[in-house]
Amino acid sequence: MTGWLLDPHLMRQRSGWSPARVTLAQLIALAAPVGVSVAERGAAQIGVLTTALVTCLIWEMAFALIRERALSWHTATVALIFTVLAPETLPLWQVAMAASFGVVFGELVFGGRGYGIVSGAAAAAGFLVFSFTGAGLATVSGAMALATLPGALLLLLGGLISWRVLVSAVAVLIAFGLARDGADSLLLVLTTAVFGLVFLVADPVAAASTQPGRLVYGGLAGLLIVLFDTIEGPAIAPAAIVFACLLASLFAPLIDYLDVKLAVRRREARHG
Amino acid sequence: MSLKHHLISPLIGNNPITLQILGICSALAVTTTLSTAITMSVALTVVLCLSGGVISLMRHHIPPSIRLIIQITIVASIVIVIDQFMQAFMFEMSKRLSIFVGLIVTNCLVLGRAEAFAMRNPVVPSALDGLGNGLGYSLILLIVGTLREFLGTGGLLGVPLVKTVAEGGWFEPLGLMQLAPSAFFILGLMVWLVRVLRPEQVERPEFRLETAEDRRP
Repeated sequence: MTGWLLDPHLMRQRSGWSPARVTLAQLIALAAPVGVSVAERGAAQIGVLTTALVTCLIWEMAFALIRERALSWHTATVALIFTVLAPETLPLWQVAMAASFGVVFGELVFGGRGYGIVSGAAAAAGFLVFSFTGAGLATVSGAMALATLPGALLLLLGGLISWRVLVSAVAVLIAFGLARDGADSLLLVLTTAVFGLVFLVADPVAAASTQPGRLVYGGLAGLLIVLFDTIEGPAIAPAAIVFACLLASLFAPLIDYLDVKLAVRRREARHG
Repeated sequence: MSLKHHLISPLIGNNPITLQILGICSALAVTTTLSTAITMSVALTVVLCLSGGVISLMRHHIPPSIRLIIQITIVASIVIVIDQFMQAFMFEMSKRLSIFVGLIVTNCLVLGRAEAFAMRNPVVPSALDGLGNGLGYSLILLIVGTLREFLGTGGLLGVPLVKTVAEGGWFEPLGLMQLAPSAFFILGLMVWLVRVLRPEQVERPEFRLETAEDRRP
């Protein structure tokens, strides 16, 4: 069986990780944010969660059947990230459509997790904002930001996200936050951005995969977030993070390519 | 190759958009509504058919070194006539299509058929080849235009078919369908569908990913 949908990035770094194990780690990291979103937004959020999960898994099973591959269950994490981003007031058929779009066009048409170029959850959220008039994304509360942190730590320790991406994105956000709103509101800038940074921008599929490239990619994502942020005041609009992530991840392969070229040139200069 | 072949094969088997991936820019730009898609289809089909015939008629007298200039001149003349005709008789439509009728000159499809077919074939097959390719292009444009207008506004040709939520009905228009990316998605799905039905159109992958299991002996 060659059906393992191994992420190329993970394959290089930790070949012991099976796709299902990666999914499991991400699900554990997402449990707290999803729990907080249900606690904050009530029973309607459970409907959103169930619809997103069922839709995503049906698509993954359909593609696994057609392609005769093993399930990685990874679309479940797409569903959970999307659940946190989607407002509970969203009609369930819109949830199903956006989740279908994200998971099919963001991941499955490319061949599954690790083969695409954008984060499936970001694609789903972007579809939501563009398609339905009045459908905004849910705002991120302080409790949500706190709940994101343990998961972020777990993913960092497991090597599933890169600290370089996070550090350079946060550095850019802090620099612009200081320049725009002063030191008092920095905390608000970071709390509203942290969930998107950890689960969308730092997603290894969306992010660059060379070490210096990750710094550049994180910085680019941070810069785009600042550019796209349309809300007055220090809080970051959730849509700004989604679109910054989509655009930055389109540049990730180019950043990696340039970094490899530079490394080759440096080596040639050293060894003649 | 029979005359019928020139007309039929570009419809699906050798479709200019889904197989040759030519003429994509106008396919994205003019398909927000069905009426613009129809007008553009007719204009392009006429240009393709006429330019194929005219260029084929002149093919023995065109010096190879300046053939592209002459081909473009012929295509541009026909396009200008059509553009002026539309401004005279269909002013509203010509305003909605704005620059895209004029841009037929630079449509890769027109020059592609002139260079690849009309320069080395007799007049009748060349005109039929132009007509066939124009119809293949039109077929895709009509499908994309129909889907985008219906899903994006709930109507066709400006006539509302289902009541939208704003009018008290049940249909929620998909805003994305009125934006250019949706045409890419629809085209992509159509290319996929055609290649599932006709596997001989599938291109060989440029490279393959190697999994850890492939490498093990």
